[in-house]
Amino acid sequence: MLLQGVSALGYTVPLAVVLAVLALLVGIGLAVMFWLTLAVSVSRSVRDTRRERVQSDLRDQLLDRMFDPDAEWDEWVEGLSRRERSVVESLLDEYLREVDGRQAERLRDLGTALEIPERAARRLGSRNEFDRLTALTWLTLLQAPETVQETDFTPQTSRERASVARLQYENGTLDDPREGLSLLLENAETEFTVFGQDTLYRIATDDPGALFDIAAANFREWSRPLLIQVLLVCRHLGTSVTTEELSWLTVTLEHDSEAVRAAAAEALGNVGWRSDIRDEGFLTRVVADPSPQVRGAVYEMLADWGDETAIAALTDSLAFETDTRARLTGANALVRHRSTLDSAVARGFADTWAWSSEHAKYDRLARTGSRVSD
Amino acid sequence: MIDVHSLTHLMLQVITWFGLLVIGYYLVINAYYLSIHVLALLELRDDVQESRWDPPFREFASPFYPGIGIVVPAYNEAATIVESLQSMLSLNYPEAEIVVVNDGSTDDTLDRLVEHFELEEVDAEIPVDVPTEQIHGVYRSRTYEELLVVDKDNGGKSDALNAGIWLTDMPLFCAVDSDTIIDRDALLQLVRPFLEQPRTAVASGGVIRVANECTVEDGIVQSVALPKTGLPGLQVMEYLRAFYSGRLGLNRIKGLILISGAFGLFQTEAVREIGGYRHDTITEDLDIVVRLHRHLIDEGREYTVDFVPEPVAWTEVPTSRSALGRQRRRWYRGMVETVVSNRGMLFNPEYGRVGTVVFPFFVAAEMFGPLIEGIGYVILPLAWYFGILDPAFFLVFFLLTTGFGVFLSWFGIFSEVLSFNRYDSPWQILRLLWYGVLENFGYRQWKTVVAWQGLVEYLRGVDSWGAMERTGFKTTDD
Repeated sequence: MLLQGVSALGYTVPLAVVLAVLALLVGIGLAVMFWLTLAVSVSRSVRDTRRERVQSDLRDQLLDRMFDPDAEWDEWVEGLSRRERSVVESLLDEYLREVDGRQAERLRDLGTALEIPERAARRLGSRNEFDRLTALTWLTLLQAPETVQETDFTPQTSRERASVARLQYENGTLDDPREGLSLLLENAETEFTVFGQDTLYRIATDDPGALFDIAAANFREWSRPLLIQVLLVCRHLGTSVTTEELSWLTVTLEHDSEAVRAAAAEALGNVGWRSDIRDEGFLTRVVADPSPQVRGAVYEMLADWGDETAIAALTDSLAFETDTRARLTGANALVRHRSTLDSAVARGFADTWAWSSEHAKYDRLARTGSRVSD
Repeated sequence: MIDVHSLTHLMLQVITWFGLLVIGYYLVINAYYLSIHVLALLELRDDVQESRWDPPFREFASPFYPGIGIVVPAYNEAATIVESLQSMLSLNYPEAEIVVVNDGSTDDTLDRLVEHFELEEVDAEIPVDVPTEQIHGVYRSRTYEELLVVDKDNGGKSDALNAGIWLTDMPLFCAVDSDTIIDRDALLQLVRPFLEQPRTAVASGGVIRVANECTVEDGIVQSVALPKTGLPGLQVMEYLRAFYSGRLGLNRIKGLILISGAFGLFQTEAVREIGGYRHDTITEDLDIVVRLHRHLIDEGREYTVDFVPEPVAWTEVPTSRSALGRQRRRWYRGMVETVVSNRGMLFNPEYGRVGTVVFPFFVAAEMFGPLIEGIGYVILPLAWYFGILDPAFFLVFFLLTTGFGVFLSWFGIFSEVLSFNRYDSPWQILRLLWYGVLENFGYRQWKTVVAWQGLVEYLRGVDSWGAMERTGFKTTDD
């Protein structure tokens, strides 16, 4: 095994040189990695230990003052070291998410004493998105929307738009829910995080019609995941949709994507009282969707409508349903609204109905602790 | 008669060319690993930033968390099943169903479940076809609405998982080993890809960590400690490098092909579409993800498979060499099986980055790597014996295998310290760094022997699982 050197482009590098370079590279890599790892570990450990040492006392002091009408936060904060203030900030973040009422008001005064709004205003100018998001989160917890208005901050990303909308919604500074919904949805290109979706839902709850109007105008421009997220929000809005504009929902029932069609059917579960979407032709069309997943969602929709016509359409469809999973979805939906079913009606899906009824029985038993009907 | 001189010359040529091949191989593979670990650091930076941002809303009040069926296969788990389930029942998640599948246990696993959770048999036929061994009964609890127990004939772990997948009504399912401890908020984090990419996210995996020596109380890991003994300690090192840093890097290039069977979240319908877990594989976790990639690409569907570094599940690792050897031989056999049955993906541009980069490198590094290294360990003493060992070759081989191996291990520890830092004492980190060195002297060589044994077992058609000896978690009373 004799290796003399490495040849390339007409040059030969002696093996000793290759070896020395390789050893040097590996050696430097190892040394850097070793000391860097140890240094970061020691630094984090020292910091955490010092924080832990003061945390318990500070928590007690904070809780005492939280229930004291004369908390005198400024005086308290002035006496704290930089590290102690940082620990108090973490505790404040924790408690502001848990308490309400007068205690929360006092904690917000502590946030002001810690000069968090001023720092948040500065962080809104940061180039790092998470710095800006953290600032907006603090301003929401401290109910300080004016800080954003005092800066020239404009949300750039979907997460920032959701944070600003949430800040305005939580503090009642939205003149109109439509304003918040527009902020979230107009020019939206990407899907939301669950926080964004939840914010959309909270604001839309105040004015479902506004969401339906915006969706009707924009749904063709939205990406598929975003459209599905909006449809999921519509599904949870309840039955207070009074808008005339539902055609976009029925259009999405014809979408290429079965996921979109299924989400549209689920969203329509809320608006079953609208006669214009309930004509026989519509029902015949949707229960015949080629996708079992969509048919399952349609069965859920019919069960949510819950009136005799819808239930009759549902039981008729289940009797002829060929996909066992869609049939089970339909029976599970039906059993949420009907604890019993005439055996003649259930003919064709009797086994599935028996299975769903049994499970519904145990659900009730576990919830109430007593057998409702055997 | 062959001339002895010519024979020696031929042998010299063969060994020299083999040596050059090995060095070339290690240069390429190490460059790949280095790239993956650097990508892991970038991924980690983003993940840490994201995890530190806690948006101002109450997660439990949000109606947008999809239901999760936690599928728990149980075979002869009478000693621990009640405690494990109590731990799972107290997970923080708005809508979870726990489906325990008693896979033909010969002990009193089912009796213990019936007694403790007040189970009653459901008086109805299962209305869907479940592609598993015969199911004898489905049980519901009088007190826990979210608990479902399936009693079936023994069919192995894949079969048990399939029973749970077919019987849950939840859109997502989480495959969990019954002896795995899941962090309380882990599901809330693991589900994040499904919330952000509804309907396109098909799978997400969390981090598996070693629970040996950690203190466990009421199904919660109360304090994290590094195992004091060598073998589990070395596995901590391995888990950090391969299951943490390695997967983070693959996630960065959208090429994750393995989600640990002990803790993974999947879109239920997508897994049903591919027929569930295969019965004839012994590493069902690798197989299912590779098949999902293949199926969804074949169907032309948009999809994502994600790794989320924050949610953690804890598992007990083997403490004896024989048990670890059995486990690793099984892993190796299963990997070869999966590679062979999905060989059509290799270098196939139709499978995108997974087919052209990730899967080929996986095969080169994980399947052939230990075999080639094993041959190297045989050739070196032979070459020395015949007096043809070039010290320069030996040094290069040593630097590329051991030197770089230590570097990658330390890189994994660095990623851990820089991010979630579960081993928070510098002494533990120092010990981990030591394990990173130690694993290259003896343990690494032993693993090449195990890989060869696994290959021989695969060729002989061995399909046994081998028993896992568990010592139980450490509690505060210990």
